Amino acid sequence: MSRQFSAFMALMGASLRGGFQYRANAISSIISGFLYQLTGFVSVWIIVSRFDGIGGWSLPEITFLYGMRLASHGVFYASFSQLFEFDRVLITGEFDRFLVRPVSPLLQLLSRRLRVNCFGDLLGGALLLSVASRGIDVDWSPQAVLFLLLAVIGGALVEGAVQVFFGGLSFRFLNLQAVKVTINETFNQYGNYPQSIFPRPLAFVLTFALPVAFVAFLPASAILDRTDELHVATPLAWLAPLVGLVLFTLARWFWHHQSRHYQSSGT
Amino acid sequence: MSSVLSLGMSTLRRNREGLIEYARMAMRRQYIYRTNMAMGIVLTGITIYLLTILWKAAYGDRSEIDGVSITQMLVYLTIANLQLRFLSPELDGDIEERIREGQIGFDLNRPVSYPMQLIAGGLGDVIATLPMLVIAVPIAFIFGELHAPETAEAGIAYVASLALAWIVAMQMNMLIGLVSFWTLEMNGFRMMYRLIANFSTGALIPLWFMPDALRAVVQLLPFQAIAYIPVSIYVDNPASGHIATALLIQAFWAIAMIFVIRWVWVRAFRQTVIQGG
Repeated sequence: MSRQFSAFMALMGASLRGGFQYRANAISSIISGFLYQLTGFVSVWIIVSRFDGIGGWSLPEITFLYGMRLASHGVFYASFSQLFEFDRVLITGEFDRFLVRPVSPLLQLLSRRLRVNCFGDLLGGALLLSVASRGIDVDWSPQAVLFLLLAVIGGALVEGAVQVFFGGLSFRFLNLQAVKVTINETFNQYGNYPQSIFPRPLAFVLTFALPVAFVAFLPASAILDRTDELHVATPLAWLAPLVGLVLFTLARWFWHHQSRHYQSSGT
Repeated sequence: MSSVLSLGMSTLRRNREGLIEYARMAMRRQYIYRTNMAMGIVLTGITIYLLTILWKAAYGDRSEIDGVSITQMLVYLTIANLQLRFLSPELDGDIEERIREGQIGFDLNRPVSYPMQLIAGGLGDVIATLPMLVIAVPIAFIFGELHAPETAEAGIAYVASLALAWIVAMQMNMLIGLVSFWTLEMNGFRMMYRLIANFSTGALIPLWFMPDALRAVVQLLPFQAIAYIPVSIYVDNPASGHIATALLIQAFWAIAMIFVIRWVWVRAFRQTVIQGG
């Protein structure tokens, strides 16, 4: 396991250096990724400030939620962006190469390339979090900071778990790109708002069927001390980072299990 | 100006058959990528549903804000986003691909001018995607809110406005595509452009509800002609209160853009690099 991990880190490091090979291009993608995310936040900011909050959440609280979601997405995209290339890796037969190397094929897939614009998401998330933390009433004890950090990583693992799961299904169905993109969009759009504004059934679907709530809304509710209005039991909000780890472990097992159905395209 | 228009008309007459063939080709291509289109519609449904929830929460108990009722608002959002899905030409990607692969040389040698080929293709795209309305309208109806326009005038003006919206959408898209004649490395730029353009159409936040300073800027841009103007006519709350004013702003942009594109095209043509010849 630790050998696999160090191999993964070495491969990721190579991808990172690869990503920065064309430095001007890398920096401009990071900046445009950053600006892209901030522009996306502008429409939320306009609505929330025009109407003095949404669903009882103030502007700084919404900003905090948005920042957490964005930071998580940055970590997710840094580690899992290649899952969106997986269908092509299967169709072109590139996956054959993964099978003859002594590192887990999933780790080889994830470290195949690094999309540097993920750093734009991370910067955007960090900026929103720091701006928001001035307007919210949170005691930033070391435990609280640690929880925030774990929650951001846990959120990335939740998103990663869902995409790894559908990646596993790709072994049988090959062309699931449309599904993966739709799910990614659902996380990106519905993850930014307090679920108290959602109709009840939708909130449950986006918690237990598609775990959007665990990425940022539930841990943010815990940090902001807003757990009394949740549609689920309070401990679940505090357990969000762990949920990410559990879901990811399950998804990883599922992926390896499904990989037995791989049929080389023979190219 | 009239000379530009009459020149356009005579080109149309002379090359009618060729142009129809371009449109046909574009239609066939849309049909090949029909899964993409269907996915696009699902994504639009997801966006419409979220916007509905969001604006309902923003309105709260109020049934009207600044003279705009919640129903008007929801119908606005539904139609604006539906429209954005169907009126999003992708000529820019085509232009880039043709230049990257060096195929642009063949395009430029054809008897019909390249911009005219693009327009014909864009028309074919729209016609080919129309049958998708059979899926899109029920999805929009379920996830958002749809009803007929309040008055017959609003309905008729909306149809005219929609046609102008398509023209401006295509012109803006072509203009961005022409940048490919200078540089092919513009993914970041295009992503930003798309985001700012989509926002400025007013499809997420209508101009009524934008902060004054922002609205002042957006009102100076052509993007409002793509969603805000036609849809605000549909829900009976047009710009500055008059349908005629709203249509005039749109027509102004449609005509102004003809000149801008001609100006850019002449320069782009001189810049042409045929790759890999």
